[in-house]
Amino acid sequence: MLALATTPAFGQAIGQGFELERGGRTAEAAAAYLATLRADPANLPALLGLERVLPALGRLPELLPFVQRARERVPENGLLRSLELRVYAGMNEPDSLTAAARRWAAAMPRSEAPYREWALALADRREFDDARQVLLLGRRSLGGGATALAIELAELEQRVENWEAAAREWGHAATAAPELLPNAASQLAETPAPQRARVTAALTSTDASPRSQRLAAELLLGWGQAAEGWRLFEQSLVGAPSSETATALRRFADLAAQLGTPAGHRVRGLALARWADLVPSPLAERARAEGVRELLEGGDRVAARAALERLAGDSLAPPDAKSMAEAALIEVLIADGGGQLDAAERRLGSSILGGEDESRLRLALARARVARGELDRAALLLRDDSSVAALAERGWIALYRGDLRGATDAFRAAGPYAGERAAATDRTAMLALVQQIRADTLPDLGAALLTLARGDSAGAVSTLRQVAGRLAPDGGRSDVLLLAGQVAARIGGLQDSTAARLFEQVARAGGSGAAAPAAELEWARLLVRQGRAAEAIQRLEHLILSYPGSAFVPEARRELDRARGAVPRS
Amino acid sequence: MKRREFVKSVSRLAGLTVSTRVLGFYPPNRLTGYLLVPMDDTQSDHLKAYGLAYRVVHEGVKAEWLLNYQGGAFLLPDGDAIRREAALNGVRAEPVDGGRVTSIRGEIEANNMDAVPLEKAPKVAVYAPPNAAPWDDAVTMALQYAGIPFTKIWDPEVLSGGLRDFDWLHLHHEDFTGQYSKFFLIYSGMPWLADMVQHNADTARRLGFATVPDLKKAVARGIRDYVANGGFLFAMCTATETIDLALAAHGVDIAATFADGTPIDPQADSKLDWSQAFAFTGGKLEPNPLVATFSDIDGHQVNAGPRRQPLGAFKLFNFSAKIDPVPTMLVQSHRQVIPDFYGLTTSFMRTRLKPGVTILADEEGAPWVKYIHGDLGKGTWTFFGGHDPEDPQHQIGDPPTDLSLHPHSPGYRLILNNVLFPAAKKRELKT
Repeated sequence: MLALATTPAFGQAIGQGFELERGGRTAEAAAAYLATLRADPANLPALLGLERVLPALGRLPELLPFVQRARERVPENGLLRSLELRVYAGMNEPDSLTAAARRWAAAMPRSEAPYREWALALADRREFDDARQVLLLGRRSLGGGATALAIELAELEQRVENWEAAAREWGHAATAAPELLPNAASQLAETPAPQRARVTAALTSTDASPRSQRLAAELLLGWGQAAEGWRLFEQSLVGAPSSETATALRRFADLAAQLGTPAGHRVRGLALARWADLVPSPLAERARAEGVRELLEGGDRVAARAALERLAGDSLAPPDAKSMAEAALIEVLIADGGGQLDAAERRLGSSILGGEDESRLRLALARARVARGELDRAALLLRDDSSVAALAERGWIALYRGDLRGATDAFRAAGPYAGERAAATDRTAMLALVQQIRADTLPDLGAALLTLARGDSAGAVSTLRQVAGRLAPDGGRSDVLLLAGQVAARIGGLQDSTAARLFEQVARAGGSGAAAPAAELEWARLLVRQGRAAEAIQRLEHLILSYPGSAFVPEARRELDRARGAVPRS
Repeated sequence: MKRREFVKSVSRLAGLTVSTRVLGFYPPNRLTGYLLVPMDDTQSDHLKAYGLAYRVVHEGVKAEWLLNYQGGAFLLPDGDAIRREAALNGVRAEPVDGGRVTSIRGEIEANNMDAVPLEKAPKVAVYAPPNAAPWDDAVTMALQYAGIPFTKIWDPEVLSGGLRDFDWLHLHHEDFTGQYSKFFLIYSGMPWLADMVQHNADTARRLGFATVPDLKKAVARGIRDYVANGGFLFAMCTATETIDLALAAHGVDIAATFADGTPIDPQADSKLDWSQAFAFTGGKLEPNPLVATFSDIDGHQVNAGPRRQPLGAFKLFNFSAKIDPVPTMLVQSHRQVIPDFYGLTTSFMRTRLKPGVTILADEEGAPWVKYIHGDLGKGTWTFFGGHDPEDPQHQIGDPPTDLSLHPHSPGYRLILNNVLFPAAKKRELKT
């Protein structure tokens, strides 16, 4: 009955203490905690409450007898023992602190706790060297080798910014317990850049464990050194495959995904390919498929092709993974270009793909053929395709053949919906150009544009100028010259002066078409790029005042503001 | 500063060459027509229209500001150079003949409208540290976009009496309590903060002040004297609240330990002398150095966690144009209700305003106001809460606002009203 009657009273007193402490009434809170201890000398929450409030009141020494009495009653309680150490530390009594810690260690010879709490009490007093000695003493006394108290040593070294030593200790800790690896990586990720090389060296010394190497690999990955990280990680994959290896590979792949860089994609692809070897079907095939995508994203087509060929030929692979592999392989072959286009075409001809995938690849292949100047083969590939994308591509093929009417019809039929917005804009620009020319066919212009499409920009500038020379002043000459100028300006360098001459020629020719204001705008941009803002301002002002109704005027005003420095360059 | 030197200095700053010879703004000997620059929804670039009006007046040509007529239109003399300027800047300007002008004047006479002559373009100074990013201040951006020349000044110029060369002064969002906007602890280690601290500490030392808060208090007093002697002051964001705190805190330590090495005077609130302040009275300081607010003057408390208030919209007051032309000029806009925007100081609590302060805009039903104005001695001041009218949530590091994407911004118009109103002919001002 007595116990039942007193327990609520204890609870009430300590509850009041918490409330008073929260309200900032520390002296009254201390009184409430002391009242609790008088009735229950080993009440830990009350002792901890006093540890919080008495220092602010300058009365910490009052706590010591209560702690000692409680520790005598419950000597095995580690919390009370560590509290005793903190009280001695707070009272600045180092000898008593040492004696109490040694007593605790003697009472519990197999426990790390006395050394940990002792070292923490010293570290809180900023006596870091002494704290380190205590932890090393504990390591020796416990006989547990380098892994004993490794976390505590690592954190201590990190606190004093000794990153290399911290890394060594984290390596020990992770070697003993692999589940510590994420925490270790997260702690060491903060290493300042100048010290990172020493940290990785500490984790990959000749006697370093595979787990320590993996820690280094993860750190390198996080610091953006994906390739180096993968190299280290691969070296750590020794011995028979295990579930730990699989888990580590998956973790590495997931971490690589966070980079978002080509190198990150590449190593993610490599990690997924290795992980796929360790997991059952169909997880393995899906991982391989995903890995291939990542390798392609990372620009490693050689590795991607090898993985794809393996996947495409895998009879056990699920159909979706196989289709994906087939499509990706053809994409790789197209991207490789050259002689691989024939292989891609053969593969496409015998593939199981069908549907949208096949149309998309056929279009990509046709574009690759066009880029090689193989217009007939490109046209043949699109022969049976009635999509708007194919129609647009047929327009380009017609244009490159010099069939201006055919190109116009095809572009109009394709409308604004085929492909990306930029592609639609390109077609519209080309329609505008062709409409200025009073001819149904003009093979020279087609050849010049094909030269441009094949990447020979300098050659295109020259041939476009020749074509323009044969056109009437009001029959598209300015528009073709403008295009030549735009191409020259894009090349830059020595071609800048050619571009400026062409823009000037078009601007001076004037006329009612869009070419003259467009040329002035391009000329001004070129001048701004060359740091000749005053001349650019003249050109822009001339454009705005001479062609007030032109669609280029709003753009010209914006450029004018920029040239004057009135709007930010963002 | 001689006028020629002034033109030279501003052209260097704003990238504009403004000279009579180039612009040829002078109208023909006999005025045959006018250009009406409408400022209602038909205007194609409201902000640049202010720049056009400013440059016309700057060249010694008289113009008129038609308050409340077509959103606060400008009436300029017709001339090729002005037409050219309008065309280049995309400003809509309609030629109107004498008959139409007579009709406009009749309409103005019969309604709550007025025609204010604009005679002298004010010389504009922007108080900003030398290392301030040009795009980090709404007024600087508005001036640059509109093409209004200005000179940047800082503490040394203020303390050496340099303000007397200028008619109009804008305060970049400075913290006049000298606590680096109270970012010292929150953004510790950031290079821009280190730069700010270094610049201010060096300047204080060079000018013989023991601490940065002491320097800023002296600068605040210099600015107060400038207004008392007839200057026009415009402030936004932190500068509004902190200049008054600095003025009220003469001889009282209101800066945290990180700023001057000593803690805030525990009795500071009761020692503040608000008679020295422009706009506010009775404010209570925010003592926590980790909370980037200064006092309870600001209504929105953007950085004070649970005290932060959401953004609403503020409404411009409608004044009598013929009786109160000054506040009428300051609220000329094609929009009466404008979305609010945050700043370190976003708004001003009504309970903290001195009697006699003119409220130009407030949020209906809210305990705060947004835009206020008042007189001090021979001069006037205007405070506008918030940082950037087109970036309501402005955060440090946000990309700069590109005003060419906001040519009709009603918030930025309010800023430019302030730049132009000192150009109004003095005898016409009735308040």
